[in-house]
Amino acid sequence: MAGYLALAVILVPWLGALAVWWAGDERRLAQHALAIVFALVTAVLSLMLLPVVSAQVVLSLSAGASFGTFTFVLDGLGVFLAIIAATIGTLAVIFSVDYMAGEAQLGRYYSLILLFIGAMIGLVLTGSLLLLFFFWEITAFCSYALISFHNDDPKAVSGGIRALIVTQVGGVGLLAGALAIYSVLGSFQIGGFLDQAEALPPGMLRWMAFGFLLAAAAKSAQVPFHTWLPDAMEAPTPVTALIHAATMVNAGVYLLARFYPAFAPVGGWKVAVVTVGVVSAVLAAVMGLVAVDIKRVLAYSTISQLGYMVYAIGVGGVFASQFHLMSHAVYKALLFLGAGAVAHIIGTRDMRQMGGLGREMPFVRAVFLVGALALAGLPVLNGFWSKELVLEAGLGGGPLWAYIAMLLCAGLTALYTFRMVWMVFYGTRRSEGAVHDAPLAMRLSLVVLALGTLTSWVSAGPFGQMLARSLPFHTLDVASTGQIVLTVLMAWPTWLALAIVALGLSAWWWRERLAKFTSRLRFLARAAAGDFGFAWLDEAIVRTAQGTAEKLSLTQTGQLNWNVLGVVAGLVVVLVFLIWRA
Amino acid sequence: MIPFPLIIVLIAVLGLLGVGLYGLLAVRNLIKIVIALQILGKSALLALIAAGRASGQVNLGQSLALTFIVADTVVAAIGLALAVRVRRRLGTLDARELGKLRG
Repeated sequence: MAGYLALAVILVPWLGALAVWWAGDERRLAQHALAIVFALVTAVLSLMLLPVVSAQVVLSLSAGASFGTFTFVLDGLGVFLAIIAATIGTLAVIFSVDYMAGEAQLGRYYSLILLFIGAMIGLVLTGSLLLLFFFWEITAFCSYALISFHNDDPKAVSGGIRALIVTQVGGVGLLAGALAIYSVLGSFQIGGFLDQAEALPPGMLRWMAFGFLLAAAAKSAQVPFHTWLPDAMEAPTPVTALIHAATMVNAGVYLLARFYPAFAPVGGWKVAVVTVGVVSAVLAAVMGLVAVDIKRVLAYSTISQLGYMVYAIGVGGVFASQFHLMSHAVYKALLFLGAGAVAHIIGTRDMRQMGGLGREMPFVRAVFLVGALALAGLPVLNGFWSKELVLEAGLGGGPLWAYIAMLLCAGLTALYTFRMVWMVFYGTRRSEGAVHDAPLAMRLSLVVLALGTLTSWVSAGPFGQMLARSLPFHTLDVASTGQIVLTVLMAWPTWLALAIVALGLSAWWWRERLAKFTSRLRFLARAAAGDFGFAWLDEAIVRTAQGTAEKLSLTQTGQLNWNVLGVVAGLVVVLVFLIWRA
Repeated sequence: MIPFPLIIVLIAVLGLLGVGLYGLLAVRNLIKIVIALQILGKSALLALIAAGRASGQVNLGQSLALTFIVADTVVAAIGLALAVRVRRRLGTLDARELGKLRG
């Protein structure tokens, strides 16, 4: 029963993708309706997974000798991420009804989104590393195709290609790790690997641990691979909210969390993870301070918050990291959709041309403010609880320098968040033209996400218990929501963090008085605007890949006779090999 | 049972294979390419039957051969249909022209 449910929750959105495609671009209403219905059914199915959470393999499909068995496991970690993908996917689809109202080729748009939702759910529910790799690549493809959705815009096309190439670097790391596991254990099963990790040769384990860290850093846009995420902001905003804030970029964090028990004993791995997280969080926060494109600010903030999650895993707080992932998925989707509504209505993403929009769009301002307060980590909202848990985990299990950096980063987060809110909704209008509030479908998604931001932290206790119950290889100490609330409120680091956040706020409030000080930091701002020079690495990767492709394209003559020659040559090679073996 | 001159059949298989491959490599007319493909197919067909006989699994060899005939016919039909479309669209049957297709 549970096995069929697991299969259904992956296949229903894929069926939906076919159905939307089949409906055809002339029947726009049918396409909107089909996409919403299939996404909703997926969301309901994903919620039905909650009662059947367990550590057992619920479905195994034999896929022949060389692929091993394709298994599906409905444990807490997977089910929770599947629910996030399905519900936020549904809200993004509903939002799209208004957002994509005037666009052509809805079939391509909705099909790719539904294909992505199915692949993302498959990625987190599968227990086979090879299948995980397949789903991983499908999500990368959907991300590329949706970033480049406006394929007549060269910026969108190059952004998509860059995202694809850079995440492929991570994909190669993942595949190498999977093959290494296969070569030792003769199977791709994740559970079996976690069980026998201690018995593996340490050199092999070390390679895999750092290979997976590379994969995670590329997928989750961590330093030094982070520059693809800001470039991915050319995607339609619902896509950004779904793929580049709430789900796909979390796949790297998921990978680290999933394999944490095996890799934690590897010497230097935890320090490397902490370093990646801290450097990403701090650098991205500084870059978020100087960006002027509202979606780029949010992209840098996503990198920064993903840094928090990676950091939490590095210090052993797997639960804190997953809890922060949940909070972040909800409030960042809210912020992106809110920013999308603003940009859609006034027709630009440049914050210098916004300002004073709060009066004309009080609704968007209200929900955006909820998301912004959660991002800044102010009390009662979900971002506050999860960020405090991350910081407490860091104080308990990580190096002190990392904790202090993350604490300061919380202040930076508050600073760039309020700079953004101010530039968009307050101050004086810097643009002309009529402005109206968000239309109905947009409001619906935004309200649901705002309510989620206000309340999702209540589920912390049950969520932790679900993880602890179904993850046999992780050691998690979990408590009820009440206990978590109590510990967070009673701990002095919470108040210290709040003081730092308040400091960040007041820094924005008194920005004029600090002008003398900030003018000294001009050089830092220039460096941040230039991505601290990290762009060259991504640039080098992209250039190498494209240059090689350019050269290899000479072998594709398009001439039938040459292709036949290739076939014959291949045949000869196979024959020679067979004779040589015989 | 009729004596089975395997070597003669093998020579025929290789001969047909050579003719078919040469046709695919050297010929540019789409119709002739389809014919070359057919000759190549016949070589495989003969090889299947011979392999069935040589390994003592005559039934298996013959049923595979029958399956192959069906598939081969479909290939020929689609190949010719494509050739007709190409001729109507481009006014030529030259395979080199296909390489310049854009969009």
